[in-house]
This record gives sequence, structure tokens and C-alpha cells, in this order.
Amino acid sequence: MQYMKFKYQLLIAAILLIVAASCQKVIDLKLNNAAPQLVIEANLTDQFGPQYVIITKSVPFTSDNIFPPVTDAEVIIADSLGYKHKLTQSNPGVYSIYPFGGISGHTYTLTVQTGGKTYTAKSTMPYPVNLDTLTTKTDVLSNKDLRTVTVNYQDPKDIANQYRFVLYINGQQAGAIFTNDDSFTNGRYVKDDLLQNGIDIHPLDTATVEMECIDKNIYEYWFSLSQQQGNGPGGGTTPANPPSNFNNNALGYFSAHTTQSKSIIVK
Amino acid sequence: MLKLNYPLAHINKPLLKTFFCLLLIFIGIPSFAQKKFTISGNIKDAATGEVLIGATVRIKELSQNGAASNNYGFYSLSAPEGDYTLLISYVGYITVSRQIALHKNVALDMVLGARNDLTEVIVSAKGHNNDNVTSPEMGVEKLNMSQINNVPVLLGERDILKTISLLPGVKAASEGNTGFYVRGGASDQNLILLDEAIVYNASHLFGFFSTFNSDAIKDVSLYKGGMPAQYGGRLSSVLDIKMDEGNNKEYVVEGGIGLISSRIKLEGPIVKDKGSFMISARRTYIDAFLKASSDSTVKGSKLYFYDLNAKANYHFDDKNAIYLSGYFGKDVLGLRNTFGTNWGNATGTLRFNHVFNSKLFSNTSLVYSNYNYTIQSFLPGNDFRAVSKITDIDLKEDLQYYINSNHTLRFGVDALHHNLAPGSLTSNDSSSFNSKVIQRRYGLETAAYVSDEWHVNDKLTLLYGARLSGIFIFGPGTFSTYNADGNTLSSKTYQSGDVVKSYFYLEPRLSASYSLDDQTSLKASYNRNTQNIHILSNSNSSTPTDLYAMSSNNIKPEIADQVSTGYFRNFDENIFEFSTEVYYKWLQNQIDYKDGAQLILNQDVESQLVYGTGRAYGIEFYLKKKYGRFNGWLGYTLSRTERKFDAINNGNYFPATQDRTHDISAVGIYQLNKRWSFSSTFVYGTGNAVTYPNGKYAIGGVTTYYYSQRNANREPSNNRLDIGATLEGKQHKKYHSSWTFGIYNVYDHRNPYAITFRDSKTNPGTTEAVETSLFGRVPSVTWNFKF
Repeated sequence: MQYMKFKYQLLIAAILLIVAASCQKVIDLKLNNAAPQLVIEANLTDQFGPQYVIITKSVPFTSDNIFPPVTDAEVIIADSLGYKHKLTQSNPGVYSIYPFGGISGHTYTLTVQTGGKTYTAKSTMPYPVNLDTLTTKTDVLSNKDLRTVTVNYQDPKDIANQYRFVLYINGQQAGAIFTNDDSFTNGRYVKDDLLQNGIDIHPLDTATVEMECIDKNIYEYWFSLSQQQGNGPGGGTTPANPPSNFNNNALGYFSAHTTQSKSIIVK
Repeated sequence: MLKLNYPLAHINKPLLKTFFCLLLIFIGIPSFAQKKFTISGNIKDAATGEVLIGATVRIKELSQNGAASNNYGFYSLSAPEGDYTLLISYVGYITVSRQIALHKNVALDMVLGARNDLTEVIVSAKGHNNDNVTSPEMGVEKLNMSQINNVPVLLGERDILKTISLLPGVKAASEGNTGFYVRGGASDQNLILLDEAIVYNASHLFGFFSTFNSDAIKDVSLYKGGMPAQYGGRLSSVLDIKMDEGNNKEYVVEGGIGLISSRIKLEGPIVKDKGSFMISARRTYIDAFLKASSDSTVKGSKLYFYDLNAKANYHFDDKNAIYLSGYFGKDVLGLRNTFGTNWGNATGTLRFNHVFNSKLFSNTSLVYSNYNYTIQSFLPGNDFRAVSKITDIDLKEDLQYYINSNHTLRFGVDALHHNLAPGSLTSNDSSSFNSKVIQRRYGLETAAYVSDEWHVNDKLTLLYGARLSGIFIFGPGTFSTYNADGNTLSSKTYQSGDVVKSYFYLEPRLSASYSLDDQTSLKASYNRNTQNIHILSNSNSSTPTDLYAMSSNNIKPEIADQVSTGYFRNFDENIFEFSTEVYYKWLQNQIDYKDGAQLILNQDVESQLVYGTGRAYGIEFYLKKKYGRFNGWLGYTLSRTERKFDAINNGNYFPATQDRTHDISAVGIYQLNKRWSFSSTFVYGTGNAVTYPNGKYAIGGVTTYYYSQRNANREPSNNRLDIGATLEGKQHKKYHSSWTFGIYNVYDHRNPYAITFRDSKTNPGTTEAVETSLFGRVPSVTWNFKF
């Protein structure tokens, strides 16, 4: 939803212009701590190679960003034909299978058993869309000599497509979540600006973008997460957990997606 | 033919029957005892010829005989044959007494002179009336423009909506925001009327200013409960604003030059004493400051708003008058040559007043209202233009029948047509975007109402009535139904003129006051309101791009039932007014969104909604000193506002964003001498109910927060002190000028605007909470002139 992003960024920029006097400070808050929650982050790509499922637990807000791995899980991936493949733990909390790859049009089922409960999610691998080129331009919102990376691709007309982009600058991942579907761009040649302000992008930086074609549930997951990132002046949405495709209240997702990456030197 | 099968079940037929029978019985009792005559006419300002709203006329010899001028300045009063002394009074004006011989019906226009002499203010306690105690209306606040003009505000831009948010039971949406919440209602549940036209977006610049230019406003009434039957269509309040009519005696130019905006007003007679006009304009020039910036993005940006109010009237004779008024306002915002957006309201009102006889007054109105916004992107390859608008045409007939000294009947009909264009997007061939048009929606809201103000005896007064409201949703268009997951179950296409759905509700409106003595009364009220226009917005501040939706086959009309009771007491010759009110409100068919809902340009936006209930209750205390060198008020509200949706918070009640446990406001105005006056306001409120994370985890290498309960946390409390001072210039024959000085947030308290969570930059591997606040101490100065 590029349109959303435009609007949103515009509102933020405008409000900040009005209130040049606005100020930010770090504050201490008393937050309630929930019991640790199970978090499953499972990806299955169309690239034949290792596939990873990472299982951790959430921690209180005030703790360090160290998320305890879940090491006693049994993780099984089943393909459309019902064949089951067991993943093995390669590192604490990291379950993998090698070599393995998904096929477009097939639906996969991931089952995780841990702590006496079974968590299941389904995801369908979409057909790939080619990431045509990456281009850069002067950042439209900043006053400094910064750049914005644009992804360019031809959206197929006949089917509904959803995308996620992951941006890396000099190998460092940008924290912003980029999603797009074709509700406004179906069949168009799309030039999608990856608007963000987490990392300053300068000329001669190396920008890498991974383009994922994702299914509708996973798009809703990422879209919902990206909306909450807008939680600032101008008003984000009321925060809530993004809708997981796992049952039994597990956090996270299982995404069967295609992947393609490109890099450029920023001009 | 119209199909009314289901909705009619909502109307309680026996109730309806009983109601009309009672009405006939009460009113039908003839008074044989004595011959009665009627005095009627208009009450006007002596200097400008403006009619005065809510001025009171009383008969000195008959303490219980009194009447107030209506919204059009008309009054009618009946009494037995005799010689009397009439007392005519109005806040801020010198009370006038007139001898009359009532041996036939008398037509009598009266003029009152404004007080500008300080001594008069202190001496004339006699004119103070106790209407607030005796009137059956409760939960109502009528604000005097001179009081509004004295309250200090941000950047010196005095503002009706900001002043209103200082009243008990009313709360501002957030600092610097003109959205307001009344008794736990959402901001779209306020009916905001400017000369009877609905104003959809009452804010400029994201709510930092309101659309109401104080120069052009004559009278403001806010109903928090006990809504009279002539109003309907919104759940929580009615804010009825009347524009100035213009001076019909002489030409006057006045204006002001401030730090961020200037304004000018011109008024004068069209035909002396018969007709007048008023034009008032205002423009901000924040962008002039932007141009001075060294920052190139800021420098190339556009950021301003302007608005224009105009009104003209002509009195053909004593019995017929015509009024034409309009408002036009626009906000423009642009970021270099990349994005642009603008939004604005336009309203127009044509009114015809006719006095059939001394007892029957009629007002006919034809009203137009439009709200629209445009968002444009000029970026090569990403260009588009998105437009959304809502257009209303409203025809109303309102009649007031002053039957006798005990009964005043008000009845009328209303037909309001909505044309909603939720959104359309246009782009050229090289753009990333397809053109897209969301279907328009058409609806007709109809209402018929009747109410009677009945002075049962010296102690008891009743205001009882009912409003029968309905909506017809018309084709053309495709209407779908959805399952719980938001997938389409069925779709049906309707032709132009087909009725897709209709709803009818009978809304009882009852209030009563019982006087314990001259200065003390008890009051109670019950009323029901329904609402058919809903804002779909999931952010906390009022944004200009809020999406409007009409009731439909999926969205049922919102319903509110409110009961309230109060104790009213005046002290010291009615100089002090004290009241306390308790209310409880039940809300049905409230609207919220599924997580991750896509609301923008979505044909199936109704698939993204969930429906639930709500409740709000509280107690308000209000102490007001209306007269004297020192005046002002003190308000305190203790309240709770909750919502309940099956799909949210495990189906449990949760605090609404606007829930505010404690709310205190104090306003003081002190007239030091003829030239200097000082004012001050203080506010304190519990912080907004918000959702904070209860944990965190990592997704895709990014810290992500875990939420378990909706709105279970509180932002830090708000508090602020503002002061202002006005220096009147020396009196000149030809002109008059004054200076207004203000300091907003005197002790520089940073009130929370937003609280966000992020990875710490100073302490990597940890997270932190960050509070954003907007305004520190802000001084202002404005020069005002009049000649």
C-alpha cells in the first residue's frame, strides 16, 4: 500500500514542520509483563538450499534483547502431497533442513510441537515476479543529501500479488518493513520507493534488496506490523499483535515465498 | 415501494400512541378562567441591530411568566389582561424595563444596549436570572462570545472549540487538537452545526485550530445530554453555532494581526434597519516563516489555511425575514514538488423566517454542506490524485407554537440527503498506480419531531417529546455481505432509486426540572439518539483524510441511550451558579476495525469492521461566576468510558481511548480597570488510555512488541497553565484598537502527545520508551482594530 505510505509520511513531515518546537525524551514507564510467549519464525523459499525455522520466547520489555531459544521442539514440514520432512536443530532454537526448496503453487504445512502443545500453520508459495531493477533518487522528505532506493518490477495482471522487500545498506538491515500488494498497481510497471528514515543512505553506499512474493495471509501479517511502526506523531493505529497464521496463539509466522535479491551502488 | 418490514419493529407502537395521547391531553386543556393576550416580537442589540438569542423577557408582576428569545431572536409571551412591567435581560447587556398595557395582542420589538461600563457590571445584580435553575434543559452550556474571546489560547488564536473543551464533561482529543469528546463519545459523535449546516471536519491544520473564526460567530450552544427533539443524527452532543448577521445600522471594519494569522471583518447595512451583511476572512501564514528557513525542504513547503464566512439578511416586514449565509475554508499543504494535499468544508444556508401570528413562528431552511479532500503525488512514475467527498442537501421546517404561558410546542420535519464519494484515484499511463473509483453511496435521512415545554406548576417544568428518525439507503451500487473473516458471502447490485436498506427509530427526549426554591432545583432527563454517518479512523488525532461511511446493510445505525440527573443551585443573587450532574450512557452498534484493516480506497471496507457496545458514566461538578470584575468557572469530571467487542480484548470491556478518569479545568477572567483585563486557564487530566507492550521478541531481526490487553495502560497525566492579557486602546471617535498578549503553557510542562517504543541507540541491545511532546512555553501577541 504505497498510497498509505505516501499519505502517512506526508502527515508526519507536515506535523513536524508545524511544531518545530516538538521534543522527544526517553521516559521510564511501568509496564506489565506477560508470561513468555512462543515465537515461531519460519521461512520456506523457492531456492533449493537450507531452510530455517527459528523458535524463541518473548521477554519483558525491560530485559535485554536476548530471546531465549526453544530447544525441545519437534518441527515438521509437510508438502502438498503429504510427504513429511523433519527439521533438525542446527543451533539452539534454530531448526533446519538441507537441501530443500518450495515449489510455486504448492501449499506447505508446518507443525511445531513443544511444551505439550502443537502449533500448525499453512502457507502457499506464490509464483515469482521478477525484480527488474533497483534505482536510487534524492530522498524526497529529507533536507540532507540523502537517497531513497526504488524497486522496479512489472506486476502480473491476471493474479493478485503480494510483496515484501528487505533493504540492506552496506550489509545492515533497515528496520522498516516494506510491503506492497497490487490493489492499486495491478498490471502496472511499479516503481516502489522504499521510504524509511532508520538508516541514512548516501551516494556510494551498497544497497541490496531482497524481493519476496508472499501469500495473502503473510502480506496481512507484514502489513499489520508495518502499520504499527507508524506509531508516532500523526497517530499510528492502536497496537495489536499482527495476525499470525499459526494456531494456538503462537506469535510469528510461517511464510512460503519466492526470493530474489539485487544490489547496486547508490548514485 | 419502500420496504419497512424489519425496522418498524423497533418502534414501540404503544409508546408512540401513549405519547401522542398525553401530548393532546396536556395541551388540550383550555384555560377558561381569564382572557389572555400575547406579547411577541424580536429582541435586538441596540448598536448593531443583531438579534439576540436566549435573551429573557419576564413580567415583573407574575414571577412565573417568562420567555426566552429563540435562535432567531423571536419571543412570545402570554398573560392575562392587565398592565405590567416587562423586564428584558441578557448577559452582558443592560436590563431594560418597559410598561405595557396588555388589552390585546401586542407586537413589540425590543433593543438592549451592551454594557461597557465597569460599574454597571457590579451594580446591576437585579438583572441576573435563574434560568439555569428553572429551565428543564440540562447538560447544556450556552457560551457568550465575550467570554470565549477572553480565554487565553495557543498562539493567540481564540477558539470556540478550545474553550468548549474547558467545560466539565468535555475533553480535548489531545494537546493542540480541536477534536473533542463529550461524555465518553467519540469525536465523530458530535453534531457540529454552523448556521444549521453540518460541519464534517471542524479543524484546520490537523486540529491545531478550529474552522470557526470567532469574529464571525454570534452564539454557541453545546448540548451534552437532554438533547431537544429538533436535533438528531449524532450520539453524544450537539454544538450549535450561529454566525453573526452583520450590523444593520452602520458600516464597521474590524480585524486583527497576529503572529501566525490575520483576520478582517466587514459588516454593515444593506438597507438600514432592514437588512445587513457580514463578511469575515482569515488566513494563516505559517509558510511565511517556512520560507525564512535555511532548510530546503521546509523552505519549499506550503502550509496554510484560510476561511471565509459571509452572511446577509433582509427583513421584509415584521413577519418575514430571509437569511443567506455561507462558509468556505481550505487547508493547503505541500512538500516542494512532491506531494500536495488540501481539504476543506463549504456550507450554505438559506433560511426563511415567518411569523404566522403572535404565537406561531416558522423557520424553513435549505442547507448545503460539503467536505472534501485531495491528496496528490507529483513524483515521476508515482503520480496520482486521490479525491474523497461528502455532499449533503438538507431541507428543514421547524415550527414553534407558543400555545399559552404553560405550553410551548415545537415540531418539524427534516429531510437530509447524503451523497458520499469515499474515494477515487486517478493517474496517468506511466504511473505505478491504476485509476480506481470506489462506488458512491446515497442516503436520505428523514426525521419528524414534536416536543412540548410544559410548566406544570410553579415548581415542575417538563420538556418532553420524541423524534422519529429514519434512513433510506439508495442504489445504485453493489452491496455485499461478509463472513467473520472478511470474505464476501453475497453481493447484490441495485439500480438508481432502489432502496437497499432502511432503518427507523423512535427517539424519546424527556427532561424535567423541579424547583425546590428560587435558586435550587433538581433535574432529570432521558434521551435516545441514533447516528447514520460514521467516521472510520483508527488513529487518535483527527486527520483530514478520515473516511466517512453511511449506515448500510452491514453497518447498523449507532444508538445511544442516556439518563442523567442533576442538582442545580445558585448563590448570592444568582451571581454564582453551581451544578452537578450524573450520567449513564449505553451505546449500541459501535464500530471498530480488525487488526491490520485496510481502510483506504477499499470497496469492501465494511468487511474490515467489527461491531460492539459501549458504556459511559460519570459525575460532573461545575461552579461558575458569571458576573462581576472577576468571573470564570471551575469544573471537575470523574468518569469512565468503555467499549466491548467480541473480537477485541477477549470480548471484555476495555477503556476507550478517550476515557479520562479525572478532568479539572479552571478559567478566571479579571477586569482590572477599563483598559486592562487578565485571564488564565488551568487544566489537568488523566492521561489517555493506551496499549503498551507486555513483552518483546524479534521478527526478521527487528524488535517486535507483544500486546496482550487493549488500552490497559495510561499515558502520564496532562496539566497546563495559560495566561492572557488584553489592553484596550484609548477611546477614539473614529477607531478602536486593542492588544492581546498570551503565554501558553506558562510553566513549560511537557504534555505527552505520543509514546513510542524503540531500540535504544545509546544502549544497544535494549529498548526504551520515548515520549514526544509538542508545545513548550509559547508566547503570542495580536493587535486588533475596529473602525
